[in-house]
Amino acid sequence: MKKARLATLWLDGCSGCHMSLLDIDEAIIAVVQRADIVYGPLVDAQEFPVDVDVAIVEGAVSSQDDLEKIKRVRERSRILVALGDCAITGNVPSMRNRFLVKTILERVYVEGADAQKGIPTDGVPTLLKQAIPLQDVVKVDLHVPGCPPSASAILFVLNELLDGRIPDLGTKVRFG
Amino acid sequence: MTRIRDLSTFNAVRSAGLAKLQPARPRIAVGMGTCGTGNGSEGVYAALADAIAQRGLDVHLVRTGCFGFCAEEPLVNVWIPGQPLVILHRVQTDHVNQILDALATKTVPERLALCKIEEWDHITAQLHYGSGFPNIPTWNEVPFFRGQKKIVLRNCGLINPDDIEEYIAIGGYQSLYKVLIDKTPELVNEQIKISRLRGRGGAGFLTGLKWEFLRKATADHKYVICNADEGDPGAYMNRNEIEGDPHSLIEGMAIGGYITGADQGIIYVRAEYPLAVHRLRVALGQARESGVLGEDILGRGFKFDIDLVEGAGAFVCGEETALISSLEGRSGRPRPRPPFPAQKGLWGYPTNINNVETWFNIAPIVAKGPSWFSETGSVASAGTKVFSLVGKVKNTGLVEMPFGTPLSSFVYDAGSGSMRGHPVKAVQTGGPSGGCIPHELFDTPVDYESLGKLGSIMGSGGMVVMDDDNCMVDVARYFVEFTRSESCGKCTPCRVGLDKALRTLTRITKGEGREEDLAELNELGRMIRDTALCGLGQTAPNSILTTLRHFNDEFEDHIKAKRCRAGVCQDLALSPCENSCPLHMNIPRFLQLYKEGRLADAFESVIMDNPLPASTGRVCQHPCDDRCRRQTVDEAVNMREVHRVIADAILLSDRFDEMVDRILAKRRPPTGKTIAVAGAGPTGLTAGFYLALLGHDVTIFDSHAEAGGMLRFALPEYRLPKAVLDREIEIIRRLGVKFVFNTRIGADVALNDLDAKYDAVFLSIGTWKEGWVYLSGTELTGVTPALPFLEAEAEAKPVKLGDRVVIIGGGNAAIDSARTVIRRGAAATVIYRRERKDMPAIQEEVDAAEQEGVRFRFLAAPHRIVGEQGDVKAIEVVKTRLGEFDSSGRRRPIETDEVHIIPCTSVILAVGESVDTDFSRASGLRIKESAMLEVDRYTLATSRDKFFAGGDLISGASNLSNAMGFGKKAARNIDQFLTRESRFDDVMPSFVYDQTAPAETSPCRRHHAHELPAAIRAKTFQEAAAALLPEEAYEESCRCLRCDIRETAGAGAHR
Amino acid sequence: MSQQVSVRIDGELCTAAEGQTIYEVAQANGRSIPALCHMEGLSSAGACRLCLVEVAGIGRLLPACTTPVNTGMSVTTESENLAHHRVMALELLFVERNHICSVCVSNGHCELQALAQKLGVTHVRYPYNYPRLSVDTSHPRFVLDHNRCILCSRCVRVCDEIEGAHVWDIAARGINSMLVSDLDRPWGESENCTSCGKCVQACPTGALVEKGRAVEEMTKRNVVVTTLAAKRDAHP
Repeated sequence: MKKARLATLWLDGCSGCHMSLLDIDEAIIAVVQRADIVYGPLVDAQEFPVDVDVAIVEGAVSSQDDLEKIKRVRERSRILVALGDCAITGNVPSMRNRFLVKTILERVYVEGADAQKGIPTDGVPTLLKQAIPLQDVVKVDLHVPGCPPSASAILFVLNELLDGRIPDLGTKVRFG
Repeated sequence: MTRIRDLSTFNAVRSAGLAKLQPARPRIAVGMGTCGTGNGSEGVYAALADAIAQRGLDVHLVRTGCFGFCAEEPLVNVWIPGQPLVILHRVQTDHVNQILDALATKTVPERLALCKIEEWDHITAQLHYGSGFPNIPTWNEVPFFRGQKKIVLRNCGLINPDDIEEYIAIGGYQSLYKVLIDKTPELVNEQIKISRLRGRGGAGFLTGLKWEFLRKATADHKYVICNADEGDPGAYMNRNEIEGDPHSLIEGMAIGGYITGADQGIIYVRAEYPLAVHRLRVALGQARESGVLGEDILGRGFKFDIDLVEGAGAFVCGEETALISSLEGRSGRPRPRPPFPAQKGLWGYPTNINNVETWFNIAPIVAKGPSWFSETGSVASAGTKVFSLVGKVKNTGLVEMPFGTPLSSFVYDAGSGSMRGHPVKAVQTGGPSGGCIPHELFDTPVDYESLGKLGSIMGSGGMVVMDDDNCMVDVARYFVEFTRSESCGKCTPCRVGLDKALRTLTRITKGEGREEDLAELNELGRMIRDTALCGLGQTAPNSILTTLRHFNDEFEDHIKAKRCRAGVCQDLALSPCENSCPLHMNIPRFLQLYKEGRLADAFESVIMDNPLPASTGRVCQHPCDDRCRRQTVDEAVNMREVHRVIADAILLSDRFDEMVDRILAKRRPPTGKTIAVAGAGPTGLTAGFYLALLGHDVTIFDSHAEAGGMLRFALPEYRLPKAVLDREIEIIRRLGVKFVFNTRIGADVALNDLDAKYDAVFLSIGTWKEGWVYLSGTELTGVTPALPFLEAEAEAKPVKLGDRVVIIGGGNAAIDSARTVIRRGAAATVIYRRERKDMPAIQEEVDAAEQEGVRFRFLAAPHRIVGEQGDVKAIEVVKTRLGEFDSSGRRRPIETDEVHIIPCTSVILAVGESVDTDFSRASGLRIKESAMLEVDRYTLATSRDKFFAGGDLISGASNLSNAMGFGKKAARNIDQFLTRESRFDDVMPSFVYDQTAPAETSPCRRHHAHELPAAIRAKTFQEAAAALLPEEAYEESCRCLRCDIRETAGAGAHR
Repeated sequence: MSQQVSVRIDGELCTAAEGQTIYEVAQANGRSIPALCHMEGLSSAGACRLCLVEVAGIGRLLPACTTPVNTGMSVTTESENLAHHRVMALELLFVERNHICSVCVSNGHCELQALAQKLGVTHVRYPYNYPRLSVDTSHPRFVLDHNRCILCSRCVRVCDEIEGAHVWDIAARGINSMLVSDLDRPWGESENCTSCGKCVQACPTGALVEKGRAVEEMTKRNVVVTTLAAKRDAHP
């Protein structure tokens, strides 16, 4: 049987969801026997590949860069999973949404800086006006809320997807 | 003031009142409702009072309310004893002397007269005024009043609302007296039930039943409340009712109080109705003094009083539990029922709340009995309802109609059709909580159930008429904006749901809508409707749900094409002219470029927007004129003639080659894709121009021997010199477009062959199948359809006409034929079954034809062509009259028995053309019921892969700019289909030009094309109207107000 | 002793006292109907619309918390239609303000969060409003965080009906509705507040909380309110 092609991605988040994914511990061995992890912070690939079966995305869409990435991921993946509250509600990254981007940047890089005060411009992705959930910009096939979602919930999701089912999460997950 | 204690004092007051209502001297009553005073009736009243005093006349001058025809205010009633009461309209202060002069001779100024009343049924009494004035129509002969039945408005505009004696004179307080004498509250309650009177506030609950709940409730105190918190935008019937006849309300409430055992009444009235509040205060004071309110009412031992409370302006306080909450001094928020107010209402006591209009119906029902009442109206809804008819109708005002009257009667009879002659699109009933009912459903009877079935409501009786200038998406957005801001915020669906709906609707009107928005809105609307706490929330989504249901295509236009047909949503258009142009030409841009003296740039701007600029510059229907905002200053900018000047200046000059090279330089590298276009008419030529520009290999097939289609073969030389058209086609040829002539699609070349040889096929066949009327005599020699006639003329193979020609039809083909006939030296008579203003032909053309000697017979339909030995000898025409309005918003002609004979030598039938769709048989192309080809409205893709279609083939016979619009749209979509990219906008030029609005409005008036004198015109095929002179065109371009420049940066579509 | 009536709730025959609401009867018979504004011991507001149920023969949905039972009434408390509406109502509550569960002191003890979990709400289909709202920390012992308020008005009712102080009310209207203390003065400056804290205990979310609590630390004791209310009823 052909192995499924799995990709993971983090956008504006704390990587906690990926940590929770690693918390499935030895169960990951069974997962990689059934699927190749073709892209993600856990592996080396440089470019998001085409023809991905399942893409698991953590984090909110916060910058122009995030926006381009998530659109590319959507185009190249059959199933897109939003993992964790940031990807689903905006969560902590969205707490900046009620302020102007300029105000935030000034607070951090000018008022809050001890040395080299100034808002960086080169090589830093432009922030969007607001940090928004994935479903505001692309179609999402499955939402797994939680901050982070528990390892058991993530393992359940992975197993179901690898079995070819869209999992029914029931009450296994919650916001927060 | 006399206090009424018994029958004799009652009768004394009544006589005193009658002596004021029908005094022995003339009586003048000035309509001084809010609508009257708003139109200056205060001044009229004062002027009358002064003049009467000055002249020392013995005239009884009083104030009255509004008689309902608000558009005709100020209304003034003049009564001379023994004569009919005459209602004068639009009376101004300078009419005062006329009126008083006439009075001296016991007459009235008939020119000011709207109607007369010989006798009036006040329901509780009849008044006979007298007969006379044969030239003045009786009130119900006036279209606005025809079909109306005044029960609620029985006294409005006739009696003095500030004088209780006048009210008593016309049978007022007699019903109350009767009820107090009979002392049978159960019986009266039963009668109210039997009458099937339903609550007029909107929900339509049976009033008698509601009263029974209160009557049966036991408590120390009970309240009856009048809900006069009328808050719907555009609805003002309650205001006028109170302003015109406050005692009807007081009497109804006093009767209600007695029947239900309530001892206290409260009128909760909008504080924004100062005049109504004032009238009520006066009326309540007089009622107390006269003994119809307070202790021992009418000497019958009944105690009842009414308080007046002014509402603070929250729409939701029209909801009864919110109203009670507001009366108790808390914020106006509804609470769930049960408990119902009849169980636990104001301050915890049993309470009944009815609308103003419900109370107005009580005294008549008591006076005349329940069966009299239920004779009027429909089975489920007895009586009448007052509507405020507003919006895009000629006549606006208060209309009281029996329930069950069809919507069409409101719009077309009372309203007399649309204000600007545009087709009426919909009626919105029930205020902001109501829904929109489309034109197709105007035969719906207006009653609670029928409106409910269509997703709308009766509401309190608002009726807003909309025409094609109204954008239905914006209508939904507007009403949701209202209900959202009036939501009390208590329940989740209404508070958050309406906010969400407004955000989505606003996004759509800004062109940021997504396709899934429509399903989401629908789902949200249903959820709010089904789960909100009170009537406000439950009905608030009606405007969304009904517009989605009936006007889905408008929503789709906003989302898919980013277009607002009505031109209301400003973010979706560059300017009103651009929005109205089927080619979406950037009109302000070429005007500005021309103004800046940049002729070459102006030409490039024009031709890149419109590949046949000189032809359209002459014969376009110019929908832009109708939208031009300059009309608010004087007349529309003559945009068409300016682009004719620009086009001619290049096409007909030695700069032609230079400019062709400039266009050719824009051509994209060859794509290697081949495209077949069927039809070298304006649609096909336009598509060919753009597709060639985009680098495709285009071949155009046509059944004629030359390109141009209708432009060449249907338009006479005097309208469009063929030399001009040849230049335009020359450019298309130089772009590399190939032509294959004398080849008919389907006959000479099969669709399957095109499919095999080309990467895409565009079908743009014109309406060459001539229309025919089923008329006896069409077989005679001398009967010709218009198209073959014009075509023969164009090919210089003239048809034999004789000296008298009759042309049947009202479109451009009819006028073109008639003017050609005149030029051939024969007499031409055009027969049209409707009126001149209904003709689809361009009005200037009709005027020109008339000047050249073409005769017109309007309201005449062909009946029979009479022959003699196989030749046409005469035509019999039957006179028509205009009947009901049809879906085009025009009155349908109905044939009468009157037949006329017009002798003639030949007959030209210009009765419409259609596309011969024989070619599409068994081709996989679907044809709709209307015999037109089925295509996707946005991509023009047909049901067959690779095949696109546009022009008359999918729209029916249309006009030049529409046809070209299809060609342009097809090119965009075919290119996208072939390259999978959006490249169209990339070939469009951009210019840097002045982006500041003119500081001052140019004082110049509109310049018109220079028509040759009619006498000369009629003898020659030389072009009938010469172009503007360059300096005139410059002045014209300066007249543009530059609507494309917005104050806020970033607004406006970047096209 | 009030009269007994029999009703069917989800098909099951139940006996109830006349005047009891559908909500009470359902709860007494082991069925919990979701609700956020309702609270035992307080008058019913009928505002959150989560407790809507279907009643046979009635064309519209009725709030279980305010509708009294009648003999012969047949009530459905769960159906696809009801679930659909309830999920949407929750979604609307989530988008309205800033409910960031992960950093909320009530995380794990929030009725809104728990109900979303129970009804399987894993995401919200509508764009969030992300409004800019204030946090009132002027009171020495308590905090009012408007970001978490769902306008259920439990606090308004408990303060009015149990404490008798009527410190709280809802100001403005529609989407701009806002909980205010006294006549819209900071809570700490309220002249009517007795600092009894019952509003905090009644609040279903992290809108009214005790000061000094960290994430997940705020647990509410509704029972304080219900016990008090029951005792008041017993000794009026």
